[in-house]
Amino acid sequence: MGLIQDSMTIYKREMLLFQSNLRTNLIRSMIFPLIILIFFGSLGSSITGIPVAVANYANNPSSVQFINSLEANKVVSVTSLTNQETGLGMLHSGTVEAVLVILPSFPRSSNGSPSVYLYYSGSEFSQAGAVLSAIASSAAAFGANVGSSAEQAGLVKTVSTQGTGSNYRDFLVASVILMAVAFGAVFGGGMSIIIDRQLGNIKAFLITPINKKAILIGKLLSGTLQSIIYGILAIIIGLVLGAKIAMGLLGIPYILAMLALTGMAFSGITLLLGSRIKRIEVYTIGAQSFVMPAWFLSGAFFPTSSFPPILQPFSTYDPLTYATNGIRSVMLNGFFPISSMITDFGVMIIFTAVAVIASFILFKNTIE
Amino acid sequence: MAEYSVDIVNITKRFGNLEAVKGVNLKIKHGEIFGILGPNGAGKTTTLNMVLGLLVPSSGHITVEGYDSVKHPEKVKQMIGFMTQETVVESYLTARDNLRIFARLYHVPTAEIEESVNRALAEADLVDFADKPAGTFSGGMQRRLNLVKSMIQEPRVLILDEPTTGLDIQSRVNMWSEIRRLNKKGITIILTTQYLEEADALCDRIAIIDHGKVSAIGTAAELKKIVAKGRVLSVSAAHDDVPALRKLLGTVLGSESAEKDGRIEVQISDRPLYQLRKAAEAIEKAGIDVHEISIRLPTLDDVFIKLTGASFRDTTVEQQSSLTRLRAGV
Repeated sequence: MGLIQDSMTIYKREMLLFQSNLRTNLIRSMIFPLIILIFFGSLGSSITGIPVAVANYANNPSSVQFINSLEANKVVSVTSLTNQETGLGMLHSGTVEAVLVILPSFPRSSNGSPSVYLYYSGSEFSQAGAVLSAIASSAAAFGANVGSSAEQAGLVKTVSTQGTGSNYRDFLVASVILMAVAFGAVFGGGMSIIIDRQLGNIKAFLITPINKKAILIGKLLSGTLQSIIYGILAIIIGLVLGAKIAMGLLGIPYILAMLALTGMAFSGITLLLGSRIKRIEVYTIGAQSFVMPAWFLSGAFFPTSSFPPILQPFSTYDPLTYATNGIRSVMLNGFFPISSMITDFGVMIIFTAVAVIASFILFKNTIE
Repeated sequence: MAEYSVDIVNITKRFGNLEAVKGVNLKIKHGEIFGILGPNGAGKTTTLNMVLGLLVPSSGHITVEGYDSVKHPEKVKQMIGFMTQETVVESYLTARDNLRIFARLYHVPTAEIEESVNRALAEADLVDFADKPAGTFSGGMQRRLNLVKSMIQEPRVLILDEPTTGLDIQSRVNMWSEIRRLNKKGITIILTTQYLEEADALCDRIAIIDHGKVSAIGTAAELKKIVAKGRVLSVSAAHDDVPALRKLLGTVLGSESAEKDGRIEVQISDRPLYQLRKAAEAIEKAGIDVHEISIRLPTLDDVFIKLTGASFRDTTVEQQSSLTRLRAGV
């Protein structure tokens, strides 16, 4: 019997254990996606009548019509017509959630720069997405560009236009799916090896004539499959809560491929950690301090373009950024430039290959 | 057939600067029940781990049923069943699944797996519980499952690491009869134990390992002869008086003493009654109140104390426990 059969024996054993504890495993994997999508996701979609102050410097028929169309939109409620300074004061005091400044050039500026500026509080990021998308869709009817300003540093944030035309929940779904996968690997991969060692199972495996690498391969496969199951569960939760896959059925294999790569990479990394760390507490710290930043930096809650310059490079080198980007393109935009697809897949394939190879080289069958 | 069931020839094992095993030689015969005794950190576990193929000896070699442990590790692993002191069963899985997994791990041919599993279930008297999660079993049932699981591949040698530690008397006696039953089927049994009475009752031969070396080997009777010339003087006293009493007896009798459960025991080599009188007079003179004073024949415990200088349950040698943190080479 060779390595493959031995690996399959370990894999089957892991999956039997997974099944015997199926309810607990699934519930555990569902808690975070549910909480994040229900609590954070509903912020952007269910809130209507967000108070917005408007400073209209154009004062032409188009701009008046634009303001009327905004008022017709339920998301935004125009509370006052004022100048920019007063509006920003109201934003500071919290009377309004955003200030819309219509420049004299509205609807179309000569050099193509934005003719509508939106100021909004950085602490109300979820509403900002909704406001921005509502305003952008209204402005688009007039052929105007919406810019958002980074003036008033600290209070005002820019948001990329990715996610425009969708709500914040849809924006979150992609990252929540990946979170379910990455955190699933923390439990299914590395944690299982520490528990097995503590229970004496690793020793019990090693006294049998199996190939030692089979322990790693079996657990890598089962960890990956379990992660994919968690990811699919998160997709279903997202869809039930109203998210859509803009690309349709074609997008599903793409998403699954991203999940498989992410699941395998994180299983490899956590198995490597678990094989070298004795205590569950230390392992949890190690795994969390790796997975959490990787997840946040991938643009889980904010688009990566809104990150402060100091975080931008981290985000660029975070493989999860590309997985998130890929899934988000499929779910929000329904299309993506082929170059972006090549980049996203290329980065994820390289990342997964490096993680798996590293786990093969550095994995230790520590007994005690 | 190889001359010995397990032949350990001059093996050593180093961990960095520490030499955990310093030239152990053991020739274990076919069908023997062989006991290995030693204080914690003496090198027992390291030696067993080398026999099991979890560690590679730094020097020397081991053959099991004629197969070299380094050259043919798969063959050796097939020959050996091993039951750890922790009861390793998957508590979420059924007894049947527990056994199936190990049948596959031991490369039992697929066509024979169900047969092996059913045989093992019958042997462990668990047929009625085959499809219940092992976690719902009593301690004794789990231990039985663990034992048949370690023997699913029908090994020729069975290694038991402290098989009865933590068991109640009833279960211990059952385990002893189970071990004897397996031994009658011709299986060579190697066991480590904390209980000297267990070694005395069960083992054909016993090796005492200390500081990485075999300090004595033989039948229980042969080992007792090491101290059998003399007797053991045993004195018990109130807890506060014990240190002074121990010092006094050491001076008067001029031989080593050991303390165990509030009782001082001194090996005396000749003229036991004279020594008893000498001790009694000195104690009376010192004005120490004793609860009991007696002389008795030595036991295996005394052999152990004489050879290792430590009472068996004494765990002072724990600095070596880091040595048991093993890494099986990848």
